[in-house]
Amino acid sequence: MAGRDRRRFSKAKDIAAPLVLMFAILLSWEILVRLLEVPKFVLPAPSEIVAEMFGSWAIIFGQLRVTLFEILTGYFLAVVVGFLLSILIVYSNSFRRGVLPLIVASQTIPVIAIAPVLVIWFGYNYVPRILITALVAFFPLTVSIVTGLQSLDKDFINFFRSLNASPLQLFLKLRFPAALPNIFAGLKVATTLAVVGATISEWVGASAGLGYLMAQDTQQLNTARVFAALVVLVLCGMGFFGIVGLVERLAMPWAHGRMSAVRYFSQRPAAEIVPKAAR
Amino acid sequence: MADARLEVSNLHFSYDGDDGPRVTAIEDVSFSLRRSEFVSIIGPSGCGKSTLFNIIGGLLTPDTGTVTLDGADIVGRPGNVAYMMQRDLLLPWRSVLDNVILAPELAGQSRSQAREKARALLRRFGLDGFEESYPAALSGGMRQRAALLRTILCERSVILLDEPFGALDALTRAAMSEWLLGIQHEFDRTMILITHDPDDAVYLSNRVYVATARPMRIGGVVDIQLPRDRHRDLTLTPAFATHKKAVLALLENGDLPPEAGGLS
Repeated sequence: MAGRDRRRFSKAKDIAAPLVLMFAILLSWEILVRLLEVPKFVLPAPSEIVAEMFGSWAIIFGQLRVTLFEILTGYFLAVVVGFLLSILIVYSNSFRRGVLPLIVASQTIPVIAIAPVLVIWFGYNYVPRILITALVAFFPLTVSIVTGLQSLDKDFINFFRSLNASPLQLFLKLRFPAALPNIFAGLKVATTLAVVGATISEWVGASAGLGYLMAQDTQQLNTARVFAALVVLVLCGMGFFGIVGLVERLAMPWAHGRMSAVRYFSQRPAAEIVPKAAR
Repeated sequence: MADARLEVSNLHFSYDGDDGPRVTAIEDVSFSLRRSEFVSIIGPSGCGKSTLFNIIGGLLTPDTGTVTLDGADIVGRPGNVAYMMQRDLLLPWRSVLDNVILAPELAGQSRSQAREKARALLRRFGLDGFEESYPAALSGGMRQRAALLRTILCERSVILLDEPFGALDALTRAAMSEWLLGIQHEFDRTMILITHDPDDAVYLSNRVYVATARPMRIGGVVDIQLPRDRHRDLTLTPAFATHKKAVLALLENGDLPPEAGGLS
């Protein structure tokens, strides 16, 4: 019982620590801005940002709906493309050799440069923004999925082959579940990138969305609302990340016990990892 | 051997070395097993024993030589014999029960029937109460027992054991060997064990083949003339020591000591 209490206490500490730190940062920010009399258009105090958030509630949330749509659609597109590319890369040598350099090249193109071109091609609508969001998010995701699908130990593959497993069984019952930890790592990184991608795409060519709102407000030195929009965006990004993390926990109950999947696959002598309780 | 269950004859295997010339891994290896026999192949680490198993298992194709199971050629055909390795290779995302029914599941049999069958065997394998646990929650010995249950549920007459208890501590290992012998008898399987432990080899086997390293050859055979109904105490008897001495002598200099009995 004492052990459980201690664990509960340490868990409370885990949650409290970042909150205390954040509060301290915000407090010093507030005090410094007031003491140094920093103009509001240069750096608004946290209290002013919060006030702005409530004051511009309707505007910010109206724009948020636009951005959220782009984030989710772009993310979905990135996931679909990422999975298709990964499977082709893993299973086809010629595809890997031919297309992988192109994929890498696509990542060296600055989004700022390609965004206006996409607007010229597809017009002033959702399409170029969703494409940019997907373009920013799909690459690390693809790398993670490929890494995951290839991470498998040869012994596992030989074992499945010795059971006469078909290639489809090998994928569905071995490669894919073994890749899940990497896949979710990629899916989580991609959430934050999708938020960034959608915002940038609006900054460059849009007539709506939080990115557009921030670009407008920056020009008009309405800095408080820029920060207010940023806070909303950050909260959205964190929420999105959290949801994917939750799905991960539900999808891999086996990995959220005593040890990580990564450790399992770089397998150690079994005796070392035996939890004391099970001996 | 006319009544052989598994027969390996004149096996040769070589592969391309890192810098050009072909490396011979296995040279003229022959042996055979009758139904329900337990045979060990003992040799130094890295002598190509695992390559031999991959050939028998159909995962590798030899340069020349044949492998027959009940008279039928099984060279290059996986799925005819069951295989258990030193690493338990349990899938971490499957419960113990779902891990042990992998073979019938891959063969397209009904999962619920396979589960039922497996459930009935859990106690015999010391796993009852753990069917819904993930492998990460099991001890090393339990994991190996789960791996063996999975191997038994492959429903193959011949089982290849590649140092199955190599990663376990000595005490667990001794207990596992004794238990393994019971399982072999109970399920009437023909088993080949790869090991570098002379105690395990002599204790478990009808016959011990001593292999040399690089390339792998069969350097000698020791027939184990001990009663089949064995308890662990047997390892302390003079008869056991004589057999062990014969195996060790073959391992050390590829020669037989003149006083060693029961050799063929």
